Amino acid sequence: MNTVAPGSCFFSPRRLRLWPGILAICAVAPLKAATPPSIEQQFAQTVQPFVKQYCFACHSGAKPAAGFDLKSYTDVAKVVEDHPRWALMREKLMAREMPPKQMPQPPAEAREQVVNWIQAMRTQEARKNAGDPGPVLARRLSNAEYDYTIRDLTGVDIRPAREFPVDPANTAGFDNSGESLTMSPALLKKYLQAAHDVADHMVLTPDGIDFSPNPMLVDTDRDKYATHRIVSFYQRQPTDYADYFHAAWRFKYRAALGKPSATLASTAADAKVSAKYLPMIWQLLEEAPLVAKTEVGPIAKLQAMWRALPTANRLNARQQDTLEDNVRAKCVEMRDFVVKIRAHTAMQFSAPLVNGIPPASQPLLNWKLREYATHRRHSDPNDLRNDTDPPEVMPVIPKYPGLHTESAPRWAALSAKARFGDPDLVVPAAQRKRYEASFERFASIFPDKFYVSERGRYFPDDSEDKGRLLSAGYHSVLGFFRDDQPLMELILDEKGQKELNRLWEEFEFISQYTARTFIQYFLNQSGEVFGKGAESASPRPEGHEITDTPVIMGLLNAYLAKALADPTKDTTPPEVKDRFFTADPNVKNDPIAPEAIREHFNGIDATLRTFEKMHAEAEPKHLDALLKFAARAYRRPLSKAERDDILAYYHTLRDKNDLTHEEAIRNSIASILMSPDFCYRIDLDSRPSLSETKPVAFHTTSATAGRPLSGYALASRLSYFLWSSMPDQELLAHAAAGDLQRPDVLLAQTRRMLKDPKVIGLATEFTGNWLDFRRFENYNAVDRERFPSFTGELREAMFQEPIRYVADMIHNDRSILDLIYGNYTFVNPVLAKHYGMPEVKGDADTWVRVDDAARYQRGGLLPMSVFLTANSPGLRTSPVKRGYWVVHRVLGQVIPPPPPVVPELPADESKSDLPIRDMLARHRANPVCASCHARFDTFGLAFEGYGPVGEARAKDLAGRPVDAKASFPGGGEGTGLEGVRAYIRDNRQNQFLDSFERKLLVYALNRSLLLSDELVIDRMQAKLAANHDRFSSLVETIVTSPQFLNQRNAEAIQKPAPQTAALQKNVNQRKVN
Amino acid sequence: MPKSMQNSHARISRRAVLRGAGVAVALPWLESLPAFGDPTAPAVFPKRFAVMFMGNGINEKYWSAEGSGADMKLSKTLSPLEPLKHKINVIDGLFNKAATGHGIHPPQTGSLLSGADIQKGAIIRSGISVDQMIANAVGQDTPQSSIVLACEQPMSGYHETNYSMAYSSHISWQTPDSPVPVEVYPSLAWDNLFENRGSQINVSILDRVKDRAETLSRKVSSEDKAKLDEYLTSVREVEKRVESTRKVKNQSDELAKQKNRAAFTMERPQNGLPEDLRDHVRLMCDIIAIAFQTDRTRVASLIISRDLSAMYYPFLQVSEGHHAASHNNLSEGYERISRFHVSQLAYLATKLDSMPEGEGTVLDNSCLMFLSELWIGRLHDNTRLPLVMAGGLGGTLETGRTLNYLKAGDDNRRMCSLYLSIMDRMGIKLDRFGDATTRLERL
Repeated sequence: MNTVAPGSCFFSPRRLRLWPGILAICAVAPLKAATPPSIEQQFAQTVQPFVKQYCFACHSGAKPAAGFDLKSYTDVAKVVEDHPRWALMREKLMAREMPPKQMPQPPAEAREQVVNWIQAMRTQEARKNAGDPGPVLARRLSNAEYDYTIRDLTGVDIRPAREFPVDPANTAGFDNSGESLTMSPALLKKYLQAAHDVADHMVLTPDGIDFSPNPMLVDTDRDKYATHRIVSFYQRQPTDYADYFHAAWRFKYRAALGKPSATLASTAADAKVSAKYLPMIWQLLEEAPLVAKTEVGPIAKLQAMWRALPTANRLNARQQDTLEDNVRAKCVEMRDFVVKIRAHTAMQFSAPLVNGIPPASQPLLNWKLREYATHRRHSDPNDLRNDTDPPEVMPVIPKYPGLHTESAPRWAALSAKARFGDPDLVVPAAQRKRYEASFERFASIFPDKFYVSERGRYFPDDSEDKGRLLSAGYHSVLGFFRDDQPLMELILDEKGQKELNRLWEEFEFISQYTARTFIQYFLNQSGEVFGKGAESASPRPEGHEITDTPVIMGLLNAYLAKALADPTKDTTPPEVKDRFFTADPNVKNDPIAPEAIREHFNGIDATLRTFEKMHAEAEPKHLDALLKFAARAYRRPLSKAERDDILAYYHTLRDKNDLTHEEAIRNSIASILMSPDFCYRIDLDSRPSLSETKPVAFHTTSATAGRPLSGYALASRLSYFLWSSMPDQELLAHAAAGDLQRPDVLLAQTRRMLKDPKVIGLATEFTGNWLDFRRFENYNAVDRERFPSFTGELREAMFQEPIRYVADMIHNDRSILDLIYGNYTFVNPVLAKHYGMPEVKGDADTWVRVDDAARYQRGGLLPMSVFLTANSPGLRTSPVKRGYWVVHRVLGQVIPPPPPVVPELPADESKSDLPIRDMLARHRANPVCASCHARFDTFGLAFEGYGPVGEARAKDLAGRPVDAKASFPGGGEGTGLEGVRAYIRDNRQNQFLDSFERKLLVYALNRSLLLSDELVIDRMQAKLAANHDRFSSLVETIVTSPQFLNQRNAEAIQKPAPQTAALQKNVNQRKVN
Repeated sequence: MPKSMQNSHARISRRAVLRGAGVAVALPWLESLPAFGDPTAPAVFPKRFAVMFMGNGINEKYWSAEGSGADMKLSKTLSPLEPLKHKINVIDGLFNKAATGHGIHPPQTGSLLSGADIQKGAIIRSGISVDQMIANAVGQDTPQSSIVLACEQPMSGYHETNYSMAYSSHISWQTPDSPVPVEVYPSLAWDNLFENRGSQINVSILDRVKDRAETLSRKVSSEDKAKLDEYLTSVREVEKRVESTRKVKNQSDELAKQKNRAAFTMERPQNGLPEDLRDHVRLMCDIIAIAFQTDRTRVASLIISRDLSAMYYPFLQVSEGHHAASHNNLSEGYERISRFHVSQLAYLATKLDSMPEGEGTVLDNSCLMFLSELWIGRLHDNTRLPLVMAGGLGGTLETGRTLNYLKAGDDNRRMCSLYLSIMDRMGIKLDRFGDATTRLERL
């Protein structure tokens, strides 16, 4: 680090700034016993004569150079008003750029005096308004903030702002400030569309409001949403027998495996299997030898396989691994055995037959489905063969059944074929009963299925009709059926059972599938009971909804009548005129049919009535949830008036606009999202309430020009700084408790937030805007025919690289100097390929850290391909753009715009006669160009070792060998990335740190910097140096500063100097060749 | 042959006005523009397009036409079109190749209006249908970009071919992933057209946020107030425009009354579903007619009976359901069903023909396309489709013809070629649509 004694080196680093200007002056003038001269006095005595002698020649008169008329600054007040230009003057003096080389040069001491005076003047001014919170304007959320906020508000990353026009940036380059964010009718209309878009994702649950990843307006959307949640739940459950056998083995040898005090419960937890089911397995496998000896059949065989598992003795690590693999393989064998036995002995059912009604008729088919669902822990004794039985005959497999006919015979034949020749099913005739008991016990522990997640028409034959999640397997008509009893009984604990029941309940509530199924059945199938055939409707009921109880009961009775009728007295014609189903008067009505029919229709009626009631009872809960939503959206509690207003609007929508309950809630949500309380950030009502602790302002040296932000406003400020999003519950809780301004709480929250994954918002928005690549995801200026590797995936990976780098820095609280000097980077598969790094296996979201990135000429921000590409015009590199980016964006140096007439460089490097660097030599030859270009061209030339898409290269596109030598401003040479880094380290590091500090402060405060902010910058610098340059030290300094904690009173004490307009314009609108 | 309409330079296009006002918002109506149809200033009238669909094919014995103009001879099923035969085109022999060879019913209907390859299983995917392509292009000029109606509820669930029943229940697709939900309730179709509840609600939302912004404005500093004022101004602007769309509805009605045009008036249909299919279809046709007449939309589709229809026609003395009857499609009963459907086309076409527009009628500026997804229901044959069109589409479509493409070769008898040709005439020029890159010859 640079250490400097006061007043010695002319490159006085910023560290001096903490010291009162007085000391600096004392270093020059001999010590005087009298009071040191004031700033004003020094101006007259030292500064004015200096500029008169060395500067007036150019910087005065009718046309002063650079429009900077030094003669006009007749007093300090005028200097203060134009302090940014005097700061620039100071830089130029320090860099010896001014006076220009050909003019008379002042002695070093005199130069230093003026330099120091400017600094002292700034410090004095800064002190005058120290702690001024500055003008932070009310502003709408930026597009990025809008999206992140919606993500956190709804739990779904809907991104409605993707269609918004791009946000303009303020002069510092950030788009999160009221200085640049405006509203217009066109944008407001988009806000309205976005609000409706988000509201379309809302789903009403029995208890409140939720949001789905997809719009929820259409029935199929709701079905998809609800069924996916259930199926995902199923798939997350541990249902592989092999896992349980393996866990049991680990428990058995727990001592040898180093866990002597493990319990079944802890073993289950470690193996991620059910703590409820594992003991059952354990008990079966480890039955006392005496009991076990009496076991027969599948249990005996399984126990034998269990006892044959390898034992675990003291083994070294490698033997342990092999053993584990071995054991696993054997457990899989055990599982396969269990699965086979159960497949061969599962019970089978067919629909009860009723004369004149197709067997696949819903009331009858559902009976069959219920039987299957409730008998999965039973074994079919008919699947066993006695050893005395005659040899088996291979069954004939009938064809697929026609529509509406019973699939059971085909399935029975298929099962018989699968069982054919299975010796495990052959039992000694004399011990038949014992064996049946064994099989039955086996089945009760090992169900043939834990759950059914899809079902086709030929269920349980699943060779056809794939992908029908949770379907009942009806032909054509929608229908769902729940079949997961073994999962509930054996695997899930109480919490899991509740959750699964809840998911099914919400499925019904959200999609109302029972009602819809019944209506479809009514309109497409119910005619069957009146002899009209399998695909026929009943006439629309008069004076009733189809789903009314009398209609349901009417059908119940019609089916009952058929089921109870005496077939011999039946008046149905011998063949129902139906191409799908032929009635057969010889069919005897199954005596169970009446029960099946009653269960079916009564079940439907009960469900419909229950859910009608649930919907009615849920309405007030939804209103409650709506109010909670509003409070979260507004990032503060609602007043009573606000609550009343929201409810009143809901009721207006219902009563006056005639909307349904759901529509009214949706539109209420849209209305909340349109409110300025949501989409604007306004720091209101900061008068501390009685409950709030008296705020403590840090490091103020004079009266603050503001008052503390309210807890809620501070919570928002913190969260939008660190997450670009709304505050979470914990932050709001502190705001409510009134202790968020307390330093310990504030810092604790800050540290927590920096560790939260949401910090990706900061990494993306700050870095993206600071380094000007925020829009890179849409970047299209690469000729993809010449650079076919530049695909959408590579572009996205390039975009992500610096973000992940910075996120890592934040998360691990690394030194911010890593940004320049880090020898590592992060890559995913496509980026690794681009960089020539070892293959990364995985998908686009698999990111790995590469520690020896230097081998591939990478490491830190500078050589990242996103910057090299964005700063190349397609078919050649642009050292000018790249150099400018380094010097202006990374190091923060201000550079004026180019003159209006600049000759073009060739577009295509491969077609140019000279290498780029030679063409740019003109920049250096012409003094008009050189005055600026000398400052940055060379940085870009050092990156000639990277081509137009940032690819490492030894030859340029015309085949010429690459020359990455650079001569840096102020002397010094270097080559390539290392050369740039070394130069920065020796000459520009402080500038980098200073620039970074300023950018971060602008970003955090949502406004451009004032002179009074210099003191915060000083503190940031000091804290940084004292903490190994760790990022958190900057954040902590910022959040504890009065600028961050307070807001201005409407009457500001002193108006600070405005920034020079000319300077402001230059900074961000630049087009460089 | 309908007379061509003259261009009027006095007529301003709405888009031009919007552009000139420096507003980047596409808005349907602005009160300063005269409602079209003012007979004192003849102009180019908007072209309308409607699809009418019948499920499961026709009775091929009774579906034919020969000759042209006054000499055209129509078969029994097409006889309801006799009074209009000089304004129709009976087109034979076109087909949709993507709908063949994948199984029966849903895969035969799923791409009828798009020619896309549809997807099996749990994911539903087809292509944008021709009516929605047109709606996307011309829809911003009207309050509703299109209306999609049906007289029969959709079916969910899966067909035995493992295609979703959504393909059988919808013909209009707004994106490849989602069919436009059909409106089955006449009263709701009406409300969508005329009440425009969406904009009513938006006005109420904007009212509320305006109030809120005004309240906030009084509580903040003057700099903040300036920012909130920006917001307020924007809200007021958008509100004004949304309000004006609702005002124009009344205006155009008033204008029509003042000009003493034989304006077709209609009352809002009752809530609920009509019990008799005849009433139901008639109401839906009336809604399309009034929507076209008042230019509330220029694109409509109507499913009278969907694929795999379970509808009943006791008034036609047919005891079987529609789908069952289609398996017996050579029966007299099914011929009556087919003729009933064609008479709905005749009804709508006659109605539109009774509305004067310029020197012709609304029908002359429209194209009504009647079709089914099958030719022969009992064989599930869709290698050729029954198709009849009514209306001259603003003079761009010659009418009174019978066109036969049976022998033209598979490449020259694509439905999608017809769609390209129709879209050309509606001002949408595409290089390809579905499986066609060429227009239909002789059209």
